[in-house]
Amino acid sequence: MLSALLVLLGFFAGMLGALTGIGGGVLLTPILALHFGIPIRQAIGTSLVAVITTSAASSSIHLQRHTTDIRLGMTLELATSFGAAVTAYLVGYFNRSVLEGLFAGFLLYGSLTILLRRGKVKDQEEIPPKNNGETVIPPYEPQRYPWGLAASLVAGGLSGLLGIGGGPIKVPVMFIFMNVPLMVATATSNFMIGVTAAASAIVYYRRGDILVELAAPLAVGVFLGSLLGARLAPRIQTKYVMYLLVAIMLYLAGHLFFHVFTGGRTV
Amino acid sequence: MSQLREPGLDRVVALVMRVGAFGSFFIMLAGLLLGLFVEDPIAAHLERLGVLLMLATPVVRVVVAGILFLRESDWKYGAISFGVLTILLLSALFGIGEH
Repeated sequence: MLSALLVLLGFFAGMLGALTGIGGGVLLTPILALHFGIPIRQAIGTSLVAVITTSAASSSIHLQRHTTDIRLGMTLELATSFGAAVTAYLVGYFNRSVLEGLFAGFLLYGSLTILLRRGKVKDQEEIPPKNNGETVIPPYEPQRYPWGLAASLVAGGLSGLLGIGGGPIKVPVMFIFMNVPLMVATATSNFMIGVTAAASAIVYYRRGDILVELAAPLAVGVFLGSLLGARLAPRIQTKYVMYLLVAIMLYLAGHLFFHVFTGGRTV
Repeated sequence: MSQLREPGLDRVVALVMRVGAFGSFFIMLAGLLLGLFVEDPIAAHLERLGVLLMLATPVVRVVVAGILFLRESDWKYGAISFGVLTILLLSALFGIGEH
């Protein structure tokens, strides 16, 4: 019964993630902590498995469209995976309230950012030019690697700390500072998330912070949800889905803050 | 030379991701379905195997990309892949004994 509920939850989070570009980990960690009574550290570790699942499913699609810059991704992964492994290790010494507070702050910041942008996922929607059905990418040369590596270190650190992907940090930096086309930046960020999340997930797993009996049904749901979401994405008004996501994020942020201040007694 | 598209590299790496994702999906699904009908430790083992395969997929992807770079004598990116792999292996080492 619990498994069925987790499959449904994963399906919902995976679909929202594929529709909005905001990965399911952002929702799964607080839901596991607040509504399933899982300690936040294990909630983070468990949802990291779902994050890897989303990345693996979607990046194989991006790779087939040849929009991923594997060399750029591998280079930046040096920084993301290092940051992720270090914070994943440090999380072992953090107490529950600090992690819950940090996560609530992140949810609040994320939802406010989306609201300020009026629900638009991206500022400029690039329409890929089609040439016999092939995606044509304008020639480019990534620039300012130090910027990219620094941002990747922060994104990786956040990933290991909170069990999230960190796309909203990497994509704008690649696009604005590194001169990478938005389409390539998005695909490459997605590609990097798998390795980044794996670097921290391995640490969480060795510590016993991945609950396999919860991670498996969640990942099954996330896999199906993100595949369906990717198919629906072109046909759905993502703006309203974004507002739904913001509402859920704000609710979870409030609930987490409440949880911190009441010392863990759930309502 | 980062903007050079290499359909061959893309295809092989995509294959690794797809095999890993679908493989672990079906293994976990089998574990879940088995767990519905019988009280058998095999169900839990299957779920664990699926989760571990999912964690291993990105690692295998780094190894495969590294081998492909070395085969085309691209030493720089071969070394970068090796660096990422080292970080992944170190993270496994540092996880030990942290209960």
